[in-house]
Amino acid sequence: MDIEGIGHHISRQYNEELEAIRSKVMAMGGLVEQQLANAILALEESNGALAESVIDTDYKVNSFEVEIDEECVQILARRQPAASDLRLIMTVIKTITDLERIGDEAERISKMSIKLKMSENVKSTMPAIGHMGNHVRLMVHDALDAFARMDAEAALKVWHEDRKVDKEYEGIMRQLMTYMMEDPRSIPDVVDLLWSVRALERIGDRATNICEYVMYLVKGKDVRHISVEQMEKQVLGK
Amino acid sequence: MSESSKKSVNNLPSSEDVCIEVRDLRLFYAENEALHGINLDIPKHKVSAFIGPSGCGKSTLLRCFNRMNDLVDNVRIEGSIEIDGHNIYDPKVNVADLRRRVGMVFQKPNPFPKTIYENVAYGLRIQGVNGRRKLDEAVEKALKGAALWDEVKDRLQSSAMGLSGGQQQRLVIARAIAIEPEVLLLDEPASALDPISTLKIEELIYELKDTYTILIVTHNMQQAARVSDYTAFLYMGDLIEFDATNTIFTNPSKKKTEDYITGRYG
Amino acid sequence: MKNWFKSGSPWIWLSAATVSISLIMVVGLIGLIAVRGLSMYWPGQIHQMDLRTSDGKTDTVIGEVFDSEQVSKERLKDAGVIIETDKMLITRYLVKTGNRDVDAPDFRWLIADNVVGETFPKEIVVFERMEWGNLYGFIESVKEDGNLVAESTAVWPAFNERLARATKLQEDITSIEKHEIGSVNYEMERLRLKQRKLELKNKFDARAKQEIENEKTILDARYKSFQSKLASLYQQIKRDTIQVKISTGAVVDVQVGSIVRAFKPNAMGTFDKVIFYVKSIWLFVSEDPREANTEGGIFPAIFGTVMMVLIMSVIVTPFGIMAAVYLREYAKQGVVTRTIRIAVNNLAGVPSIVYGVFGLGFFVYFLGGNIDQLFFAESLPAPTFGTPGIIWASLTLAILTVPVVIVATEEGLSRVPISIRQGSLALGATKWETLWKTVLPMASPAMMTGLILAVARAAGEVAPLMLVGVVKLAPSLPLDGDFPFLHLDRKFMHLGFHIFDVGFQSPNVEAARPLVYSTAFLLVCVIIVLNLTAIAIRNRLREKYKGLDH
Repeated sequence: MDIEGIGHHISRQYNEELEAIRSKVMAMGGLVEQQLANAILALEESNGALAESVIDTDYKVNSFEVEIDEECVQILARRQPAASDLRLIMTVIKTITDLERIGDEAERISKMSIKLKMSENVKSTMPAIGHMGNHVRLMVHDALDAFARMDAEAALKVWHEDRKVDKEYEGIMRQLMTYMMEDPRSIPDVVDLLWSVRALERIGDRATNICEYVMYLVKGKDVRHISVEQMEKQVLGK
Repeated sequence: MSESSKKSVNNLPSSEDVCIEVRDLRLFYAENEALHGINLDIPKHKVSAFIGPSGCGKSTLLRCFNRMNDLVDNVRIEGSIEIDGHNIYDPKVNVADLRRRVGMVFQKPNPFPKTIYENVAYGLRIQGVNGRRKLDEAVEKALKGAALWDEVKDRLQSSAMGLSGGQQQRLVIARAIAIEPEVLLLDEPASALDPISTLKIEELIYELKDTYTILIVTHNMQQAARVSDYTAFLYMGDLIEFDATNTIFTNPSKKKTEDYITGRYG
Repeated sequence: MKNWFKSGSPWIWLSAATVSISLIMVVGLIGLIAVRGLSMYWPGQIHQMDLRTSDGKTDTVIGEVFDSEQVSKERLKDAGVIIETDKMLITRYLVKTGNRDVDAPDFRWLIADNVVGETFPKEIVVFERMEWGNLYGFIESVKEDGNLVAESTAVWPAFNERLARATKLQEDITSIEKHEIGSVNYEMERLRLKQRKLELKNKFDARAKQEIENEKTILDARYKSFQSKLASLYQQIKRDTIQVKISTGAVVDVQVGSIVRAFKPNAMGTFDKVIFYVKSIWLFVSEDPREANTEGGIFPAIFGTVMMVLIMSVIVTPFGIMAAVYLREYAKQGVVTRTIRIAVNNLAGVPSIVYGVFGLGFFVYFLGGNIDQLFFAESLPAPTFGTPGIIWASLTLAILTVPVVIVATEEGLSRVPISIRQGSLALGATKWETLWKTVLPMASPAMMTGLILAVARAAGEVAPLMLVGVVKLAPSLPLDGDFPFLHLDRKFMHLGFHIFDVGFQSPNVEAARPLVYSTAFLLVCVIIVLNLTAIAIRNRLREKYKGLDH
């Protein structure tokens, strides 16, 4: 499956429609990535203004989703896509749902960061959270990159990243748990922080979803809910 | 008939009974080879669709199954087609008998200029069935089978030419199933019909597949996707791919198939 | 002007004009022969003209005015008629005076200027006679066995009574002569042939001889009884006579038995004339001809024409269709079939007299001769089939028209869509079943078209028939009550030949001219009726098998 594949339809109109959808997905991905980066930064630096801007910008992500959804429905209705085209449209529909959720999570992180008081405990956890945030953001970026290049192997690589994120998440959880035990008064703050970390972990999961879609798009095989070995076999063709 | 020990040439699931086995089928128009060695196992009581661009040989292949190609001058056929284990190109085969077992419906509705009743009874009369009661029963059964009974039961004795295109095509199907064939060949059965009539024919095909092995040639890929269980893609006289319709339309394994069904340049 | 040409309207006008010319020609042709042919049966006024003769006396002429024309004085002078007048153009009448036996000829040209008096006496009677044509005159008296029965005013009813009686007797005589005695003769002939046959086989022994003698005696007895019956009838019919005063003033005796009918046209009203007219036409189509075909009806000719066309159709249809089916459906298409097709098409262009010669040489002499040798040896040297007859005429016309049927049928077969054939074959029908059950019925309108064309051509053909079966006067119809009812070996009469015969071979051309027209009109009518029947059948078939062309 090559990227140029899209552009070889006998109907040029169809080519343009598919291309438009693809680039809109990329634009939406870029926006979501930006939102995520800003949310993480706002959390790290407790930058209220930045957090506000993230919250204010979420509507753009939502409208992107609605718009792309609409176009996909039209293509389904009018073009009855088959094979790779069908998989592309299905992938887009699912991907934008996940992207929208990622946007929502970024908004949630921003809301938390406004509420969050910078206690000592919180401050000491921040580097770890920042690291995890960056990792997740990279995952989202790479997943979108794999989608853009229709690269199943890259998607598989990103998919594997999620384990590391989960590890980091568990580490941070343990740390936050310790804080709560040591100082019960800090519990409200820590819980808020915990929600944000939870949101980051969810974002990682959604990035893996996108990777699964990309693998389906490229290989035509559903790789959800199967063992890692099977997945690698499907993707790497071994 | 097929033994499960025999491996199917086109990875047909072993759960399927094979009805027709095509082995290395080559067809020549004079010196031009129109089919280049087709190997194909067609499952019993399933709808198999043949798709492909014009001139790919799908209609030619379909016409091999009831030896309609014999009517064309200068046609030579090599290889074998076995229906239920009997090679239909065996010199001992009676072609008329074969065609009774393998019914065919053509692109354009071609009812005979006779009454509706006589159209359906035609094949039976050819076989020498002339008893009034027997014919009445068979005609009713066939028309019901073709989902036409309710529309024509009050005018069985009027001319078939007065029916609409869709009705005529269903009448032709009724005519074909009246002689209770094993296999039904449909050569673009809906290409001359409006969309509603087309849907009725497709619905009919869906209902008929419990009783008959159906092979359908169609230009309309969506139609193949809608009605068939298996799809064969032919290109320039070669069988490119034969697989479950679901697979062909979501994830074909050959690039040519992919290009064709998604509408790309070759 | 240029635009007008571009618009195409000149061509539309041109084609419309050609169509109208064709129409006018057809209508004109039929109209002319219809008017000329049918008007002869309308009872015209009988003129009694006083004529000034060259020696100063007056002459009386009684007759129907047939025609009048303007001729130049010079032409008349050349013809030997000298008239004292300064007019360049002179009117003259053609008058049918009848009375051929008394003062021939029965047609006379009268110069209009010489006619000094003209009256239309109501009492003039026209007698149509078995012989000698019409007689015009006044009945003086009616006599029976030489005794006076009626005179002056009582004459007409008394005459009519006797005429009716005589007509009845005449019918009896004809019936006995034609049917009873005819069938006795036929039986006799059969007996003779039977005897001859047995002799040829050397089986003519005493018993057979006795049998035949017995039958002969019976037949002889029957013959004798008919003879005596006839004699008495002839006696009776000779009983009545009438005295008729004709134009010259002479009185002639006429036997009532020799009169076909008598009427007084000058005394008839329009209604009477219409009835008379219809009756005359009916007599024309239903009666046998008299007087070398110049009088009476033409029923045998109509019957012969129709019969011959029917027999020809029965032969040509299956033959042509089978040939076409083989050519189109079974024969391998190639040089040979193409050559055959060209040959068939060319056959249609061969002059018909050539077919006549062929029919005479091949059918009559060769086929017929051999049939006689094999099956009718007993009647030789008198030929049975070895002489022109209706079967040979029909066969000759059949080969004349078979190309038309072949071409039309092939056309029809080629128009049956391949999808229909495949539909039938796909249901397990063999090629023959497909042909028989589907293709041929669908091609039947085209076959009918072929037959229509064949009939049209055959009914109008005369030349070859003269060689292979048509005669001027056939003694008996090809279809009658004697076993085997249909006599294919008999000669027959034909309308076309009848026209030729009456128009050009008759001793009395003027008298025969209207007959030529009415026979021609009838021939056209017969052809039209035959064609219309075929067209009606074809249209029904077309209706039945319509819907092919979609």
